[in-house]
Amino acid sequence: MPKDLRTFLEDIQDELLVIDRPVQPHKFEAAAVVQSLENKGLNPPVLFRNVTDMHGRQAKGFQLVINIHGDRLRLAKALGVSPQDMRMPLVQEFAKREQNPIPPEVVSASRAPVKEVVQRDPDLSELPIVRHNEMDGGPYIDMANVVRDPDNGAYNLAFLRNEYKSSKKMGVFMSPRHNLMIVQKYRERNKPTPTAIIVGHHPAFYLGLQTRSPFEADEYEIVGGVMGEPLRLVPSETWGEDLLIPADAEVVIEGEIPPGTLEVEGPFGEYPGYYGPQRRSPILHVTAINRRENPIFQTIFAAHREHWLMGVLPMEGGIYNSLRVQGRFPTLRQVCLPISGTCRFRCYLSMKVRAEGEAKQAAMDAMGHMNKIKLVIVVDEDIDAFNEEQVLWAVSTRARYDHDMDLIKNAQGNTLDPTVEGELMVTKAIIDATEPLHRPYGKRAYPPRELVEKIDLKELALEK
Amino acid sequence: MVKIFWVTCPECKNKFYCHYKDLRHSGEKLHCPYCDNWFTEEEALNIYD
Repeated sequence: MPKDLRTFLEDIQDELLVIDRPVQPHKFEAAAVVQSLENKGLNPPVLFRNVTDMHGRQAKGFQLVINIHGDRLRLAKALGVSPQDMRMPLVQEFAKREQNPIPPEVVSASRAPVKEVVQRDPDLSELPIVRHNEMDGGPYIDMANVVRDPDNGAYNLAFLRNEYKSSKKMGVFMSPRHNLMIVQKYRERNKPTPTAIIVGHHPAFYLGLQTRSPFEADEYEIVGGVMGEPLRLVPSETWGEDLLIPADAEVVIEGEIPPGTLEVEGPFGEYPGYYGPQRRSPILHVTAINRRENPIFQTIFAAHREHWLMGVLPMEGGIYNSLRVQGRFPTLRQVCLPISGTCRFRCYLSMKVRAEGEAKQAAMDAMGHMNKIKLVIVVDEDIDAFNEEQVLWAVSTRARYDHDMDLIKNAQGNTLDPTVEGELMVTKAIIDATEPLHRPYGKRAYPPRELVEKIDLKELALEK
Repeated sequence: MVKIFWVTCPECKNKFYCHYKDLRHSGEKLHCPYCDNWFTEEEALNIYD
């Protein structure tokens, strides 16, 4: 059976929180439940079985799931990695998969669950679109959009925010990345950009589409690599084989972005945990909706833990590939983008430093891979980069700030970072918290290791 | 963050913020996310930039 959202929900059924009472997602009610859980330190995936549409009427046949990506353990399950390996081995597994793309398989509509219901006269107001945070400009679909390069035919996928405006119109915000470059190519030809929004799929699908691939790469192939199987595609309703859409999605919304039309959109709670401002963004005229008979609508809890974690593996895996697999740091041991840095702004590297300056060079390479990173802390290989207490202990005991800390002023940041000045300018920093190579240094204090290893906590009744 | 300005809705008096380059002095009506009111900068109760 091909991987999809339903096969994954089966895999995590023991942790799925199912809510049967009626919920109005467009009036914050679904997001409020997840926030309430988050306030208690709980992060279960939540399935709402009784949800309303944009008019407050029951969205017949629809369910809604939130917070699939809100826990690293679930990301491990998405890639079939065991819980004890959910830190660096999981990163290495992702890094391996993203380098081995698998071409997609095109199937007929009769074999595509997403084609069970096709609406050529679509009405977005029938969907259970979620309003997440209080100052959001409206309800948003915050899953993945696909566009296709008109020159080389490569598919580009990205998480974008799509604001519900009316029954056939959405506002779409795009950062200056590959998808916007493709939209600009259509704009230069004075043509609308064919676009589809993919709502509800296996988490490996959404992890795969976030890889930092070259502009020319076909991201459906990379997604297949990360999923470990060919992604099944089917011709879209509006453009046929000219824009293929995932056959095993729950809902796919098709539409066109007209060239040059911008309308007021936002604010929207974004990955830093702050709102991105209201602005003028492209619009999307919806042309068709493909969906399953009883679809499970999906959303990311934007500006919260799920938003942070959903991208962590592609970023950690990408840096690992960039620095160690393809790069010049064979002694790099771990890469961690901690939740406390929104899994984007701060990076911890653990490595065996072999020469003066190598730690700083590795830090600069990590920043080069990802412009969102503002602070890289490099620690020795005895420090677990996934243990923030150990990382900060190393900073406290191994870094001399006058010697081991560098500021990089006027560097490129990300438009949604609240510290950015002007359009994109930020100050970045590197802390080399590794022991110096050029002078004698102290030794971390431990009891004799051989004695510690002999201790049997079960025998001492200290561990069950 | 890119340069923003805070604006106060004349209808519900709640505050929200907008992208300066896109919307300040643009003549575009602003949309209050709290009460769905559309209004011009001139109609805003307050603008802080």
